[in-house]
Amino acid sequence: MPTVKIDGIEVEVPAGTNMIEAARKVGIDIPHYCYHPHLSIAGNCRMCLVDVEAGGRGPDIACNMMARDGLAIRTDTPQVATMRRATMEFLLKNHPLDCPICDQSGECRLQDYYMEYGQYESRLSDPKVTKHKRVDIGDHLVLDAERCIACSRCVRFGDEITGTGELRLFNRTDHTEIGIFPGARIQHDYQGNLADICPVGAITNKDFRFTKRVWYLKETDAVCTECATGCNVRVCHQQGQVFRLLPRRNDAVNKSWMCDHGRQAFEAITGLDRLLRARVQGQPADLDDAVAAAATLLREAGGGVAVVLGHSASNEANWALLKLTRDNLPNATVYAVAGNDPGAWDRSDDFLMDADKNANSAGIAALMAHDPAIRDRSDLVQALADGDVDVMLVLGDDVLGRLGADGAGVRVIHVGSFRCTTSDAATVVLPAAHPYEQDATWTNRDRRVQRGRRAIHPAGDSEPAWALMERLGAALGKAPGATSAAAAFKSLASSVESFSGMTYQSLGNGGAVLASPPSPPTDDEDALETIHA
Amino acid sequence: MNLPVEQKRTFLERIYLVEIVKGLAITLRHALHNLFKQDFETFEYPDVRKEMPERYKGAHRLTTRPDGRVKCVACMCCAQVCPAKCITIEAGELDDDPIEKYPVEFQIDMLRCIYCGFCVEACPKDAIRMDTGIYEINAFTRQDMIHDKAYMTDLMAGKKPLAESFYRAHQDAAPPGYDLEEDRVLPVDEPRGL
Amino acid sequence: MESHWTEVIVALIKCVFSLAFVMQIVPVLIWAERKFSAYIQDRPGPNRAHIMGIRAGGLVHTLVDVVKLVVKEDIIPDHVEKKFWFAAPVIAMSCALTTFTVVPWGDRFVVPASITAWWGGEGPLTVPLQVATINSGMLFILAIGSLSVYGVMLAGWSSNNKFSLLGGLRASAQMVSYELAMGLSVATMFMLYGTTELDKVAAQQAGPIWNWGLFGVLDADGFDPLLFVGWIVGGLAFIMFWTSVFAETNRMPFDLPEGEAELVAGYHVEYSSLRFALFFMAEYAHMIVGSAVTATLFFGGYNIPFLPGDSIRAHADTIVTVLGFGAVPVFIAFAVIAWNRRKRPFYQALAPDDIRHREPRFFAAFWSVLAIAHLGLGVAGLTGAVGSTALGPELLAFILQTSSLVIKVLIGTFFMIWVRWTIPRFRYDQLMNLGWRAMLPLALGNVFLAGIWVIFREAVQA
Ligand code: SF4
Ligand code: SF4
Ligand code: SF4
Ligand code: SF4
Ligand code: FES
Repeated sequence: MPTVKIDGIEVEVPAGTNMIEAARKVGIDIPHYCYHPHLSIAGNCRMCLVDVEAGGRGPDIACNMMARDGLAIRTDTPQVATMRRATMEFLLKNHPLDCPICDQSGECRLQDYYMEYGQYESRLSDPKVTKHKRVDIGDHLVLDAERCIACSRCVRFGDEITGTGELRLFNRTDHTEIGIFPGARIQHDYQGNLADICPVGAITNKDFRFTKRVWYLKETDAVCTECATGCNVRVCHQQGQVFRLLPRRNDAVNKSWMCDHGRQAFEAITGLDRLLRARVQGQPADLDDAVAAAATLLREAGGGVAVVLGHSASNEANWALLKLTRDNLPNATVYAVAGNDPGAWDRSDDFLMDADKNANSAGIAALMAHDPAIRDRSDLVQALADGDVDVMLVLGDDVLGRLGADGAGVRVIHVGSFRCTTSDAATVVLPAAHPYEQDATWTNRDRRVQRGRRAIHPAGDSEPAWALMERLGAALGKAPGATSAAAAFKSLASSVESFSGMTYQSLGNGGAVLASPPSPPTDDEDALETIHA
Repeated sequence: MNLPVEQKRTFLERIYLVEIVKGLAITLRHALHNLFKQDFETFEYPDVRKEMPERYKGAHRLTTRPDGRVKCVACMCCAQVCPAKCITIEAGELDDDPIEKYPVEFQIDMLRCIYCGFCVEACPKDAIRMDTGIYEINAFTRQDMIHDKAYMTDLMAGKKPLAESFYRAHQDAAPPGYDLEEDRVLPVDEPRGL
Repeated sequence: MESHWTEVIVALIKCVFSLAFVMQIVPVLIWAERKFSAYIQDRPGPNRAHIMGIRAGGLVHTLVDVVKLVVKEDIIPDHVEKKFWFAAPVIAMSCALTTFTVVPWGDRFVVPASITAWWGGEGPLTVPLQVATINSGMLFILAIGSLSVYGVMLAGWSSNNKFSLLGGLRASAQMVSYELAMGLSVATMFMLYGTTELDKVAAQQAGPIWNWGLFGVLDADGFDPLLFVGWIVGGLAFIMFWTSVFAETNRMPFDLPEGEAELVAGYHVEYSSLRFALFFMAEYAHMIVGSAVTATLFFGGYNIPFLPGDSIRAHADTIVTVLGFGAVPVFIAFAVIAWNRRKRPFYQALAPDDIRHREPRFFAAFWSVLAIAHLGLGVAGLTGAVGSTALGPELLAFILQTSSLVIKVLIGTFFMIWVRWTIPRFRYDQLMNLGWRAMLPLALGNVFLAGIWVIFREAVQA
């Protein structure tokens, strides 16, 4: 590995690392606009200019300077400062004074770098070049060409990531203008990322437009649970309200991207279908009363008891449910019903959006490998057809909907966050917290266990599903015995082999992959059909 | 630590009584003077009103553009800088205006406001001012103490803000970009607001 | 049987009178406090409220205040200890009022036989002008005075609020400290008088001014310069007693229990409406009673210097004539001043139809009427209409002696107000130092001094 010297500090980096990343390793920040770790290098903004001390000729741009032995650069010379100030003046020459109405304000690189490296007096005497403003370029995007600094990040995103190539830089010199081809419109499912990567306020998000100044928002690291990919996200919220989601860089999962569906998924937290109160026989009830009613149902079931694990529920909740069943309901049968809920969003591709819309399918698979007594979808279909099920305890998923069953003759206990066929048919409904309202882990399609943190308080009476399982267990006689999500996960890790050794600490922000391969994929034809239809 | 050295007091001072009598004499002198002369500096407020200095910070108003719309673009700078956190702005988008953003609602909780004037300093648009000279800010309910956009826009209808005369006299003291013509006061019947 | 009823009714009348005595002065004091403090601080003070244009120098504000306090919402916080919280203001107020029962406000009132005959009484009825003639009068004052701390303490504790609790604690510590000095100075006076009965105490101070307790002479036949040494004992006792009265009333500079700056309002921070008013009035009632007791102990009580009660009765006509004619020019001067107020800039600035323009006219008329009434009084004295009746001299003595006490009380309370707006609050350690390290030894020494003085006085007088 080559060793380079940055401001006199030696650092060893893998070959092919550019100087921006190498400097970042030693805690030196080189300002840049056009460089993005997940896009090709264009080198056109010139903000990253540094002095080359040895091993080359300088000044040169750090983003396109690959590490090689003997290379030494400096970022702290007066010349670098002058170059940065000149670059800032150049970039801002025709820039409109839009900050008061610009959504980027507060997280704008132009603002940041001007305050840090610019601070010059304007020398412009001619009128500024005006360009198109407020152009509607996509369902989720607004373009303001005047604010663009022609870094071409968005162009490269269209060319390299989505391959759709709608955006281009037209014209020359100070009339260079970002735009789309006449009549074209950005239609792919990753539009939000364009607003994210645009270092200035040229491309902004229509959904987030003017709703909140970004500096008011607090960010919490979480995981998107809309499909099996499990993109890492940051939840931006203020005073118990989520305003937007941003992708969080995880090179093993979603790099720096996320899809538009996941980006708006937080809207469901306050959506009309959200379950906020416990219900018994369709009537709103206290959570305690509902838990007691559920316990009575389970204890006094006439026929068989079916317990259905949740493919979209967290590892903790599923484990708590399994443990609760084994401890308190020896006669119950545990099922796992793969497949998507009817009415789930249906877009998928081979990039991020998975066809499986369950966040935790791999976690269920791991539990099935651990407990072979867990039956699958066809067994539940059979049991329902045979009338062997009197009481059914469902975690999260719309099981009745998935099976196309009407649930006649079955008394259902539904633990979930959203209204669905199952919750409508349920005798007892327990409101569960939304993923962004709880600490929990999910296992994505690559069997990576990823941790989401609680951003806001659970709405209404809802509680994290594992906590509801604790309540239910206590009402039945023996609670799973966890007092926090971390404890629930610890219990899971100490019992299930593939999770062994994992803790919330060791998962960190990147997550960790399950130990052993799961049992061969389910031979459940229906489920596979549903997913790949 | 260096404690301040206690002042040496004479015996007379230490028995208090003499000093107390001296103090009593001072207060009595004032009282008798005022009783017979009645020449107070005080203003008989509701009957006699003090002329406010031109840069007096009174009730806030929202300035308007010539077409009657508020100048404010809901940038939240004022809300951010406000030490009392008493400004609430709800931003909205204007479809028919090159200035895309405007405040759907703009409220100041005058019960919490400390009249520091930071909001005025922070505003990049000269959209909020405290130059009305209005110091009687009171109401019978808490709700009425929350001044909203309509109120603050209409506040000076037909009246001259203090700043106008001040800036006419001291043109170099006007903030950069300040346009006296734009600051004209709307006649009461012209449409305003959005 | 019958005389019992008479006694009960007379006692009731006296109760009502003493209550009225204190309660009438309270609003006047509140007004005086506001106006005087304003003048000290170079501002006009209350002058807005008016009834049909008559502002009476701000007196109307006090009236408005009463209305406000009565109609205000009575907030009972959830967290208070209800029983004690309700009791506290009542205790504070009743302690202040109870003390007044042993203060005499005149030597006696003889109801002539012609009047007692109405209800079948036999002969004239002599009524001592004191609600309760008890033989331990001074001790009673001390006892009730110490009880009053319970009002403050209970209020502080039961409010369940740290500010009130601290206020209550301060109050009790302060009262304990100053009660000692107060008790000792009372003991001093008690040695000088040789009695604890306040009616006897007052009677001993009749006659010339040097008979006042302040000078420690008592019952002197003539003026003897040697006897004037007694003012050392009396004066010391007075200063200590007076300081303790300040402390007991929680007035500046001893108002640490309320200390707005650090305790918001101290022990009464949770009270509102009439309950607060009780505390508020109790403070003023305390001032009045404190002044009345001080006047009785040191300043001759109801006695007018050089004019004992019997002389008043003997020369009733002369006195009425002098007072009546003497008052006329004074009231006329007032009327002229009031009339001239028209020209003040304030009235000039008012709108011509302002209702307040009638004020100078109203007061000019008011003082003129008073002047005419006093002219009538003087004429009545000249014609001997007062002295010739049985009731006349008694009434005159009663009015003059009571007024004498009222004037002394007003001077005392005025002084308290004056001090309040002059001196800043003590620091707590200064307060304790003063109480324990200065006043207590001084008071103790004074008791010995009093003993020596009493023996010396007897020797000289013999
Ligand atoms: S892009 Fe940045 S500098 Fe330009 S208007 Fe927006 S916030 Fe301001
Ligand atoms: S729109 Fe944004 S990302 Fe695209 S070229 Fe302009 S500044 Fe760069
Ligand atoms: S004057 Fe100060 S406290 Fe009042 S609204 Fe403006 S910034 Fe806030
Ligand atoms: S600072 Fe000015 S423009 Fe911005 S929100 Fe406040 S009043 Fe409006
Ligand atoms: S980041 Fe290197 S030239 Fe833009």
